[in-house]
Amino acid sequence: MNKYAARLTIKELRRPSLVRRLIWLAAIWSLLVLLFAGIGLTALFQRSSLSRFDLGLYDITEGLYAGTTVEQGEVVAPALTDTRALRVYSGRYWEIAEPGGAGGMQALVRSRSLWDGELKPPPIRPDRFKPGSTVYYDTVGPVGERLRATARTVTLPSRTAPVVFLAAEDRGPIDRDARKFAEVTAVALILLGAGLVAGVILQVQVGLQPLFRLRRDVASVRKGQAVAVATDYPVELAPLSTELNALLVHNQETVDRQRTHVGNLAHALKTPISVMLSEAEARPGDPLAAVVSRQAQVMRDQVDHHLRRARAAARAQGSGERTAVLPVIDELARTLERIHIDKGVSIEWDADEGLAFRGEKQDLQELIGNVVENACKWCRRRVDVVAGPAGPGWLKVTVQDDGPGLPPERREDVLRRGARLDESAPGSGLGLSIVEELVKAYGGSVTLADASLGGLKVELLLPSVDG
Amino acid sequence: MRILVVEDDPDLSRQLKQALGDAGYAVDHAADGEEGHYLGESEPYDAVILDLGLPKMDGVSVLEQWRRANISTPVLILTARGAWSEKVSGFDAGADDYLTKPFLTEELLARLRALVRRAAGHSSPSLSCGGLRLDPRAARASVNGEPLRLTSLEYRLLHYLMMHQGRVIGRSELVEHLYDQDFDRDSNTIEVFVGRLRKKIGQDRIETVRGLGYRLAPLPGEPAGG
Repeated sequence: MNKYAARLTIKELRRPSLVRRLIWLAAIWSLLVLLFAGIGLTALFQRSSLSRFDLGLYDITEGLYAGTTVEQGEVVAPALTDTRALRVYSGRYWEIAEPGGAGGMQALVRSRSLWDGELKPPPIRPDRFKPGSTVYYDTVGPVGERLRATARTVTLPSRTAPVVFLAAEDRGPIDRDARKFAEVTAVALILLGAGLVAGVILQVQVGLQPLFRLRRDVASVRKGQAVAVATDYPVELAPLSTELNALLVHNQETVDRQRTHVGNLAHALKTPISVMLSEAEARPGDPLAAVVSRQAQVMRDQVDHHLRRARAAARAQGSGERTAVLPVIDELARTLERIHIDKGVSIEWDADEGLAFRGEKQDLQELIGNVVENACKWCRRRVDVVAGPAGPGWLKVTVQDDGPGLPPERREDVLRRGARLDESAPGSGLGLSIVEELVKAYGGSVTLADASLGGLKVELLLPSVDG
Repeated sequence: MRILVVEDDPDLSRQLKQALGDAGYAVDHAADGEEGHYLGESEPYDAVILDLGLPKMDGVSVLEQWRRANISTPVLILTARGAWSEKVSGFDAGADDYLTKPFLTEELLARLRALVRRAAGHSSPSLSCGGLRLDPRAARASVNGEPLRLTSLEYRLLHYLMMHQGRVIGRSELVEHLYDQDFDRDSNTIEVFVGRLRKKIGQDRIETVRGLGYRLAPLPGEPAGG
């Protein structure tokens, strides 16, 4: 089961598994089939060897019958050349008997090998023997060996009472043969079964490969390494991958709609607030204007805050997107240099070519844009931006300026929502509280420190797409 | 001083006209993108205040068309969303400054004054080298009519190379002229900037002369400029 099995934990082993289910089903089924096949084969072999054996016994009785004569009422057996029947207790016996007596059979002539013993009659009562009929049966010999015997009832000329010809032979050799055959068959079938199970495992592993690939595909979509799942799946899985892609598109559309909606709301609200603010501003000293101005500013902050929250919520349901970092920094550096052209700010930046942020482009722009704008506001002339990898799955954006910096005890405040430390600098808030909120939504972190250039150093740790 | 205001909200337009008039500007107003585009193209304004969300034709398109028609009037854009993607596209289209709504009138006036002053300050003529054009007045460059998007160091590098086109310029000379005194003078970073600039203007325009430095020259078949 190669690496798939290696990755299973105990907990996963308890859960139902398609692979295990298929393998168990195939294994149990093939083992049952093989078991019955083995039993059948062994029985067939036993039967055919027994019937060959019985044929040999029949030949003996045939020989006896052919050579037996009756002289003055006495039955005289032929002189048989079979030496085994002459050796005592050799395992091959014959007997000529007549039905009757206490044992159901009375011996008339017997082979030398029987010595003074007698062959046991067949389990059917001999008086029910029809002349000419032959029966085969198992019995025990004079020295306790297992015998295969045959009894043939005939009527001899010049003798009224029927005579029974009996022949028996030790069945040990054929039993041994049968056992040996069963053993060899069992070993062969077990090997065959193992081969079949291995084949099934291979088949399931190879056959279910598309399923494992689909899982990897979905994972890479989630990680932002792909935009959609591949569509070249077998017919059984193709509808699933198509549905998945449709779901992804639907998700993206929902996020986009939400964002458009949020943007429209922003536009709709901000112009009226702007009008109220400047209308109030035009009437200094008017107490109503003062209230309107204060409340309009609160409204502005509230709108900003909740729009950001709505955007973050829209983001949470979005799939992992991939945004190249380098072009974002390049365009922001250009834009911010133009914004601060009077101050003559120079933004130097460096970023790895392949570096990619796992998230929306708009968010990366907000993050880096706000941090760099803050640095531009506070710097004297120079801002440095460096972006690079920071361990697997993470990237780091470091922004430094050569401004006055920020004492450590005030750094906490900067990241808190609503804190405005730059009331002296033009524009709205520091923008760093927005950054903190956004970075948290992505599971990253913001660190403030002293810059080697003299000012503030802001480090953003953000999720990245590797490879 | 004549100012064009392109804004569709009637209240905000009225306020802007009022405030600008009080500050001594002559104000024209357009309520949609098409009208604004027409006015900006046909009348000589000293500055334009352009809302990005406009009916009929959006602000970014209006601005792009002006810049393509070589109208370099300073433009201040008004954005409602304050999103960086909007600012980036606004500046890439050729904006000179931006304000996010809602804003204070005072701030708008201060920005406008700076914009007009800056535009009046630069007066050097534009430079060209083959399909490359650089306009120091607006601090803009273009290649074959397409505006180039450059950072300040890339712009300064291109400016210096264009002023001395045809001549081989050593790395140390570039370092001297591109960086201020306080910058650490690592000539390796020059290579990085030349590399980025090549990507933006075309690989073959800047030639590397081994051991000596770089030379900017028109592509073969392009007329040289001055």
